[in-house]
Amino acid sequence: MEDSTLLEVKDLYVSYGHVQALKGVSLRVNRGEIVVLIGANGAGKSTLLETILGINTPQRGDIIFEQRSIAGISADKNVRDGIFLVPEGRGVFAGMTVLDNLLLGAHHNMKNVKEHLERVFEWFPVLAERKNQIARTLSGGERQMLSIGRALMSSPKLIMIDEPSIGLAPIIVNEIFDILVNLNKKGYTILLSEQNANKALKFAHRGYVLETGKLALEGRAEELREDPRVREAYLGV
Amino acid sequence: MQVFIAQIINGLSLGSIYVLLVTGFNLLLLVAMIIHFAYPQVVVFSMYISWWVLRATGNNIFLGVVAGIGSAIIFNLISAPLFQKVMKKREGVDINTTMVLSLGMGMIITDILSHGFNKGLPIAFPKEVVGDTSVLRIGLIDVSNGQIYSLAVGIIAVSLLFWLLYKTRAGRAFRAIAEDPNGAKLVGIPLFRTALGSYAITGVLGGVTALLLAVLLGTASPGMGEQVANKVLAVSIIAGLGNLTGGLIVGLLLGILEAIVQGYIPGSWANAVAFVVMLVVILVKPKGIFGMKL
Amino acid sequence: MSLPLYYYLAITAIYILMSWAIYLPYRVAHLHFLVVANMAISGYLAAYMVMTLHLSFWVALITGFLVGGLIGFIVAQFIGDAPTFAVVIVGFTFIYITRTVIENTKAVGGTMGIFGLPSIMGNPALHRWIILIILYSLVLIVGFLIYRFDHSRLGRAASAIFVDKNIAMSFGVDVKKIGILLQTFSSFIAGGCGVLYGFIYKSFHLDYFTFHLIGIFMTVIFVGGYRTQWGVVVAAPILYGLPLLFPPEVASWRIVIYGTLLIMVLVLKPEGFITRKLVYKIEKKLSYLIHRRGVRI
Repeated sequence: MEDSTLLEVKDLYVSYGHVQALKGVSLRVNRGEIVVLIGANGAGKSTLLETILGINTPQRGDIIFEQRSIAGISADKNVRDGIFLVPEGRGVFAGMTVLDNLLLGAHHNMKNVKEHLERVFEWFPVLAERKNQIARTLSGGERQMLSIGRALMSSPKLIMIDEPSIGLAPIIVNEIFDILVNLNKKGYTILLSEQNANKALKFAHRGYVLETGKLALEGRAEELREDPRVREAYLGV
Repeated sequence: MQVFIAQIINGLSLGSIYVLLVTGFNLLLLVAMIIHFAYPQVVVFSMYISWWVLRATGNNIFLGVVAGIGSAIIFNLISAPLFQKVMKKREGVDINTTMVLSLGMGMIITDILSHGFNKGLPIAFPKEVVGDTSVLRIGLIDVSNGQIYSLAVGIIAVSLLFWLLYKTRAGRAFRAIAEDPNGAKLVGIPLFRTALGSYAITGVLGGVTALLLAVLLGTASPGMGEQVANKVLAVSIIAGLGNLTGGLIVGLLLGILEAIVQGYIPGSWANAVAFVVMLVVILVKPKGIFGMKL
Repeated sequence: MSLPLYYYLAITAIYILMSWAIYLPYRVAHLHFLVVANMAISGYLAAYMVMTLHLSFWVALITGFLVGGLIGFIVAQFIGDAPTFAVVIVGFTFIYITRTVIENTKAVGGTMGIFGLPSIMGNPALHRWIILIILYSLVLIVGFLIYRFDHSRLGRAASAIFVDKNIAMSFGVDVKKIGILLQTFSSFIAGGCGVLYGFIYKSFHLDYFTFHLIGIFMTVIFVGGYRTQWGVVVAAPILYGLPLLFPPEVASWRIVIYGTLLIMVLVLKPEGFITRKLVYKIEKKLSYLIHRRGVRI
């Protein structure tokens, strides 16, 4: 096991009641990478991310984070150990202020809260402006920034993002992806799921294609972009 | 004029009882999404436990205090999970079931008190405990130390809770869990431990309320909880569910209003005041005068 | 007829009728606690009419029904389609205000109550028989009406409202109209029951109409089963009757037992004992038997 491997998923089987959501999925994320999960609705992308975080327990298979098995460990413990999930639909607490939401991100690690907060405000000036506003009053793009900012407050070793572009206007989507690229340049490892394969493959390092719970393809982003199957199914070419 | 001021003072101390109770009620609402119709009965229950311990230990005040607060915490810790279990059956705040559940609890408590303690007769707290020594006397105006304590503690309690909920890390966690338990998990908040903490705090508040009631009133009766429970609900609705500051203001105002009605109109019409006001508020401003904070 | 038997039969009938009165609005998720206020108002009004105005029992009874229905109807204009919470609050409010008014009105006995109501037709034994006949005729009539309602289009609409009011509305269900119908009928029955309740004992007292009463009815409905009307029929006689069989020391803890049962049912068996499935199974078996005119294995 190389030291640069941050996360490794081995042959994961997850089911919800009678529905087999994931059938033997394996993947790997190395430090400093941006890895993208591509797939249609219901392919299992959210399930995979949530299982890695610890919301679901896999029936079979293993999840190894920093050379330690974390399959079956509860979500809140994993968050405390450095994995953070930015859920689909933004996942902010709509009834609480921007500031409170950000502070909640640092809930289990309040050391250096002030610096983290300043850093987030520096990267997302919009959040600084609206820091005392109730999250419900933010626009879709602003909420996404808040959600990402909240993730940053916990100084995660691995940031997972579920469908960052959903429901956002194209201009905002570009902004968000620019932010992600910048974060990566600063050293953050990112695992994200996306339906918008076109954009995602442009800046990711590697990608995996999920189809109905199974891994269909994997490879470097450029290769996947050129792959005719991917182009036909996901790039609309 | 003196009568008027005397009534205002009475009203303030009555109001402070409402404030303490409605704050506990709001707290349960804010951190656990529970509408605990029987919360005042739980408080009265703690009063009775405290009284019983006082009798059994020859008026050992320390033990009496421990018993009062301890029993409130224990009862909260036991009953809160019941509510959670019942609410899981349907998404969101299922008012019907939590209401019927608290009705059931209230029934049990009131009846246990009528049967098991002092043969159902009202209980009296020992002289050393009751705060009815006059602190200030001007003609007809008579302020007792008990009244000052309850008013002071009422205001302090609300301020403390406000600070706790809105300015501390723990309070943020409580509010997050109340709004979205799954979202709270995602942020790394340990649900069970934190929820227990919120119930314990409500228990402490309930216990303190019980002790203050003992000091202020000097007596308790089995039906007391029931009588007050509906008024506490009325205060919460008039102010706006979950609104702590609103509860403080409305609680005190209602106490004063009731005292004035009691003073100038013979009979027990004061009781109906709270409900008439509540009816009007529901029709005119259903979210409460100060707005809901759910 | 022996006195204990009379009281048992009479009170059981009241429990059945009043629990049905709460069952109906609960079909659309309304806990219509107003009914206890209806009992008190109509009951005291009837007592006043008989004692002070010297009107006949029958006039008082009919007035009781009508007053109950009228109050229910008027209040329903406001809360016919209100959220459950509002219905509960309004009910509590009316109970409180009613009690306060009665407490402070000398003409209806204040906190002392009204005693010594005359026997119907002047004859105590006949009085008891008449009360029982009225009560059980009501049980049959109301039971029949509820049965027809539950098995009709309106009943199905009510079930839809219970599950999701908004979706029901989008199917064209007139939520307010059904709410008004159920609440009015429920208050109508409650009014009559209030009158009869007092005449069972030939007295009226504020303690008859307390929040404890709500608790008892809740227990009957939820332990029996709130999804069908039969839960009440099974639970009322058993819940009221069983404590009577025990020695008085145990029986006096009746309310605690009810409360505990209620909580246990809510947590462990939320649908109650007589569930929808059970009733379906029995109805199917019955229609099978009736059609085949005999038991076949």
